[in-house]
Amino acid sequence: MGFEKFLFYCFAAITVVAAGMVVTRRNPVHAVLYLVLAFVSSAVLWLLIEAEFLGIVLVLVYVGAVMVLFLFVVMMLDVDLAALRAGFVRFLPIGGLVAAAMAVQIFLVVGPANFGLEAFPKPPAAPAEYSNTEALGLALYTEHLYPFEIAAVILLVAIVAAIRLTLRRRPDTKYIDPSAQVQVKKGPDRVRLVKMPAEGKVETP
Amino acid sequence: MTFDTVNLIPVLPEILILILASAVLLVDLYVKEAEKGTLHTLALIGVALALAATLLVGGGERQVVLEGHYVRDALSDALKAMILIVGLLVFVYSRDYLRDRGLATGEYYALALFALLGMMVMVSANSFLAIYLGLELLALCLYALVAFDRDSQRGAEAAMKYFVLGALGSGMLLYGISMIYGATGSLALDEVAAVVAEQGLENLVLVFGLAFLVVGIGFKFGAVPFHMWVPDIYEGAPTPVVLLLGSAPKIAALALAVRLLIDGLGGLQSDWQGMLVILSVLSMGLGNLLAIAQTNIKRMLAYSTISHVGFIFLGLLAGTADGFAAAMFYAIVYAMMAAGAFGILLILSRRGFDAEHLDDLKGLNDRDTWYAAVMALMMFSMAGVPPFVGFMAKLFVLKAVVDIGMTWLAIVAVFFSIIGAFYYLRIVWLIYFDKPTTDAPLTDSGGVRVAMSLNGLAVLGLGLFPATLLAICQAAFL
Amino acid sequence: MITLADYLILGGILFAIAVAGIFLNRKNVILLLMCIELMLLAVNMNFVAFSHFLQDMAGQVFVFFILTVAAAEAAIGLAILVVLFRNRRTIDVEDMDLLKG
Repeated sequence: MGFEKFLFYCFAAITVVAAGMVVTRRNPVHAVLYLVLAFVSSAVLWLLIEAEFLGIVLVLVYVGAVMVLFLFVVMMLDVDLAALRAGFVRFLPIGGLVAAAMAVQIFLVVGPANFGLEAFPKPPAAPAEYSNTEALGLALYTEHLYPFEIAAVILLVAIVAAIRLTLRRRPDTKYIDPSAQVQVKKGPDRVRLVKMPAEGKVETP
Repeated sequence: MTFDTVNLIPVLPEILILILASAVLLVDLYVKEAEKGTLHTLALIGVALALAATLLVGGGERQVVLEGHYVRDALSDALKAMILIVGLLVFVYSRDYLRDRGLATGEYYALALFALLGMMVMVSANSFLAIYLGLELLALCLYALVAFDRDSQRGAEAAMKYFVLGALGSGMLLYGISMIYGATGSLALDEVAAVVAEQGLENLVLVFGLAFLVVGIGFKFGAVPFHMWVPDIYEGAPTPVVLLLGSAPKIAALALAVRLLIDGLGGLQSDWQGMLVILSVLSMGLGNLLAIAQTNIKRMLAYSTISHVGFIFLGLLAGTADGFAAAMFYAIVYAMMAAGAFGILLILSRRGFDAEHLDDLKGLNDRDTWYAAVMALMMFSMAGVPPFVGFMAKLFVLKAVVDIGMTWLAIVAVFFSIIGAFYYLRIVWLIYFDKPTTDAPLTDSGGVRVAMSLNGLAVLGLGLFPATLLAICQAAFL
Repeated sequence: MITLADYLILGGILFAIAVAGIFLNRKNVILLLMCIELMLLAVNMNFVAFSHFLQDMAGQVFVFFILTVAAAEAAIGLAILVVLFRNRRTIDVEDMDLLKG
């Protein structure tokens, strides 16, 4: 067992345990944090097989933005935790059974019989000057231009939908209108001269 | 890679829809509350332009552009044109309802146009990547639209259920795609098809991936046993959104099944045939039986959708060109009938009142003879009564099944559709032989009556003269 | 040597845990959303592994798009959750009884 294999087993174990914790934790905040752990250790596993860019994106974008959004919503909503767990024990046997059956099936199909080293030998390590980011970028902006454009539309839809669903104008909110600020003209709008009765002459000593 | 603008000509319909959807978002910022009708006009112009472009660039040889992600062939031309026509009907029917409830905002029109764009992307997809992204574009728009009425508890609840089950379905589909990618080493449907033809049933991994794929397709179609979301969404969502998601997306789902199962994995037909038989029989049976027990007409139509999905699967599982053409014919016809039926529900709804109980249809004939006739026509057609088009659609599908020697399946289908006829005919009974519970007049703006009449005449006319549409469908699978 | 099977089995276990989680946490919508994220992670694991062992960039490109879509999906899902919570003051699925089914 080489060092790589050792690393793989370490981080794979962390990922699986963290994933198990996500689905069994009582407190949603803990569940989100375990999910973050699962993502970070998966990122390490991806680094091990030369998917450097995706590994880093997973940590930066996914953990950094999406999971934080989850945490934000979990903390914003005031959730009654005890009530939410009531059915957990009832579903535990069937849930466990389904998961076990599925895992065994998947193992039989994707196990070493079909995807061992004989069928798929380890490809040679990429040379030192190879850049995964560059390769991915080249593929993304040439061959996959059309999917890239659709993904842009999907993000636009997400923006429009999220704003429409959650933004409400409250009449009592006070805010500054930047366009009114910009349109202020020089002179009368900015400086107002107020006529005041002059004081009497001040005697200088 | 060289990039040639000639590549973009077949994509013109999609580009036009995208431009108009963005224009709607921008114009929405500048028009006053009273002039929101502009957005409606703009959306209609967009769909009409895209329809014209589809017909313009359509026809002729199969074209694959944009590095193999996009295909334009007879199938995509026909399905896109139908999606856009149904889209036009949807916009015309839902205008008054949206305006009365203050939902006719720029976001509604933009999201609906983006949903149409997603369907068109699915129809023209030639790689797993394009299929997946088109599917998600459609699904994300629909999730948001179901929750569009922010103050409706039922809408939010329906959206949540739709979202969770839809995402589960996508996850299954993706797992299947990942297995097929691993087994074939490609994401392009042409290359996948070549590898599958070579390896065939030898490869256990392919079959394993296929099983997940069929589950995913079942979720997206709403076939039993993956149908849990359908009735709740139909009941909870605002009626115009139900109209949108109950009609054209069925055509897109058909395209999804055709692209994945036939274009991609046609070599595994003997495997997916068995899976589809199960889904089909369960859908026809459960859909029709549960529909009888419903008192809410939106729920009833939801179960009726499930049973029609069973029929569409019948055509697909036949595995012959005639069967595929019959399934395509069925999906197109169903989309038109669903648009008509939900359109009538929208006309019956007024400010502060949603027509959703069977009782609301009572005595429709006394209130408006013409709309009553159209509704009765839709119901007869859905039930499969000759000479309406629904009958022809069922006939073609059954013929395809009998042709491959699965007569028992055809008998089961006929049995369930006779059971199903009961609840459709009950509605016709309510319309003609019951007294109205209210005498509030039906209001409609000019275009609605014209569109509804055309819709009704299409259902009648295509039933009498199905040859043209059938020929178009058959040409797609030559 | 790390084999492709190692990664695929890990992906399979994650997928199974996610499906089990959906069964177990039927009452809590936030956890349902997290199970879906976990499921997508399993799929991504498969794609990255295949991409490396097949020496084909397309798999990694697919992962890139799955991450994009998952982010959009999370945004919309959480927005719907917020709307639901504003209307109902609860995210308990059992309380969702307006729609029978």
